[in-house]
Amino acid sequence: MGSITFNHVYKRYKGEARPAVNDFHLSIEEGEFLVLVGPSGCGKSTTLRMLAGLEEISEGDLYIDDKYVNYLSPKDRDIAMVFQNYALYPNLSVYENIALGLKLRKTAKHDIELRVNRVARILEISHLLGRKPNQLSGGQKQRVALGRAIAREPQVFLMDEPLSNLDAKLRAQTRAEIIKLQSELKRTTVYVTHDQVEAMTMGTRIVVMKDGIIQQVAPPRELYDQPANLFVAGFIGSPQMNFIQGSVTREDGRFYFVNKRIKLPVPEHHYPGFNRDRNGISFIMGVRPEHALLKADTGREEEEGWVRCEVEMTEITGADSYVYVRLGEQTVIVRTDPDKLHRKDDKLLVSFAMNKVHFFEEQSGDSVSLKGDAQ
Amino acid sequence: MMRRLRKITPFQVALVTSFTALAAFMSLPIIFILNHAFKPQNELFLFPPRFLVQNPTMRNLESLLLHASNATVPFTRYLFNSIIVAGLTLACVILVSTMAGYVLAKHKFHFKQLVLALITLSLMFAPETVGIPRYLIISGLGINNTYLGHILPALASPVAVFMLVGFISQIPGEVLEAAKIDGASQVGIFTRMVLPLSMPAIATISIFTFQGVWGDVETSTLFMQEETMRTMAFYVNSLLSGLQNSVAGQNMAAAAALLIFVPNLIIFLLFQRRVLETMVHSGIK
Repeated sequence: MGSITFNHVYKRYKGEARPAVNDFHLSIEEGEFLVLVGPSGCGKSTTLRMLAGLEEISEGDLYIDDKYVNYLSPKDRDIAMVFQNYALYPNLSVYENIALGLKLRKTAKHDIELRVNRVARILEISHLLGRKPNQLSGGQKQRVALGRAIAREPQVFLMDEPLSNLDAKLRAQTRAEIIKLQSELKRTTVYVTHDQVEAMTMGTRIVVMKDGIIQQVAPPRELYDQPANLFVAGFIGSPQMNFIQGSVTREDGRFYFVNKRIKLPVPEHHYPGFNRDRNGISFIMGVRPEHALLKADTGREEEEGWVRCEVEMTEITGADSYVYVRLGEQTVIVRTDPDKLHRKDDKLLVSFAMNKVHFFEEQSGDSVSLKGDAQ
Repeated sequence: MMRRLRKITPFQVALVTSFTALAAFMSLPIIFILNHAFKPQNELFLFPPRFLVQNPTMRNLESLLLHASNATVPFTRYLFNSIIVAGLTLACVILVSTMAGYVLAKHKFHFKQLVLALITLSLMFAPETVGIPRYLIISGLGINNTYLGHILPALASPVAVFMLVGFISQIPGEVLEAAKIDGASQVGIFTRMVLPLSMPAIATISIFTFQGVWGDVETSTLFMQEETMRTMAFYVNSLLSGLQNSVAGQNMAAAAALLIFVPNLIIFLLFQRRVLETMVHSGIK
């Protein structure tokens, strides 16, 4: 119960050349917590609204529990939705807000009371049941909106950026509550957000979208460790992954990543990706800040793998500090121990954990290593 | 310890005094109507006229109500017609305008912009210019001398639709979508969400629609040939303008003016708070 299948779904708006959602093809298993993430205008909300039945599907098929639902009205899809701006009924009390869905489904009165009270207890809003929405704070409103969704016990929960209107502290708290709630209720949840931290912490699987096209679908860890392309690599992770331009040359059967300043050996597991004729093609090497290392410049000849650089600035977040170093024309962010102080214009050596770096074709942005694996 | 008193500045004194004077001045017509209705015949024609009644009498109301005995149509019939027409028109205008407002504000359909443009266009016509076409339509439909003939011309109220489109479009779309997902039908969304949420606008519309219909003489003059179908506003008008009773009818006219005025006052007092909400609502948002 609660599985969802998108079969090559498109959404086109009149007068727009590019579809808002382009060939969305995905199966969501029952009980899964799927997060759609991407920058604004990437089609994630449109996808969710098509799933809810609030937006027509231009092309393709949509199934919920193997039932064809393209033309089914929202109320018959057995779904509940939580909106960014809560969308509580302003003219009804909190109790009536939660009860309305049950009332419209002709649930027995005592049953409604039982369920509303139970939901209110779970979300700790029992004392608010008599109030009107305009007497609630933002956090309380969002709890009521969650309660309204839960009370109906639908097959699928849809959440459209439910935490965006909350302040940072409340957001983290509510985020944890939603995760807990979902794992207890074990209902399929599709969650839309533009915040990659939310996506990484909440989803059992994440769909990264851009310009209406799915970029990658993977569990959080895999998304972080094996981004399929430059966009995903740059979007997931904070601070962003470092991108260094260069090309790849072959010497004595070994590959090297080279540009004006550096020459680094490519680890062997990336070789299949470079074996085809790729001379003269530009590549981009991606390194996460935690996979770069700094050490003091002793002034001697450069050892292999270490490159000279200068400190531009340092950002201390408390647990870590991020040092921005200049490497030729490029700036690279390196995560370091906050106890080590680096001053502007300090001369240092930087090296990269080469078995952790990623390579992308500059032209297409696709990951070289993933392509290599497939071939 | 000194108790601190709130300082009253001369400016505040001047302000309160002048506003009190203004309020008193504004209430003069109301006081006049109330007094006038109870003046005996000699006081009505007094020159210079007096503002307040000296010897209040119920004779005016009495003769108005008993006018029935020597006229063909009793006054109560006009009153009854007015209540029926005003009540039904009000209900129908609210229903039609809110439904039209909801659809125009929250739904997508072909030629929506055209419909909106036509409604805006119809706001520009003076009522006199459409008098003849209206008459032709009413007689073509064969609804002269029926209540429908009173109600139909007032039914399509572009001002009301225009106001409601503006008001309903401020209701967040997500609220209606949430209701849709919760299982409400279109009728359910309309009755449970749109109607209660647009109460302030409905209150405003109610006031001006009621005032318009209650004081309207056009439908009675043009579309009603039978005296029994005409309304109170028409009757009061005829008391003052009819040649044979323009003098003798003055006392009845004074009483009738009160009867015309009182329902307006009641409606206004009932909906006043709601109207203010409208202004606050549209001011802030």
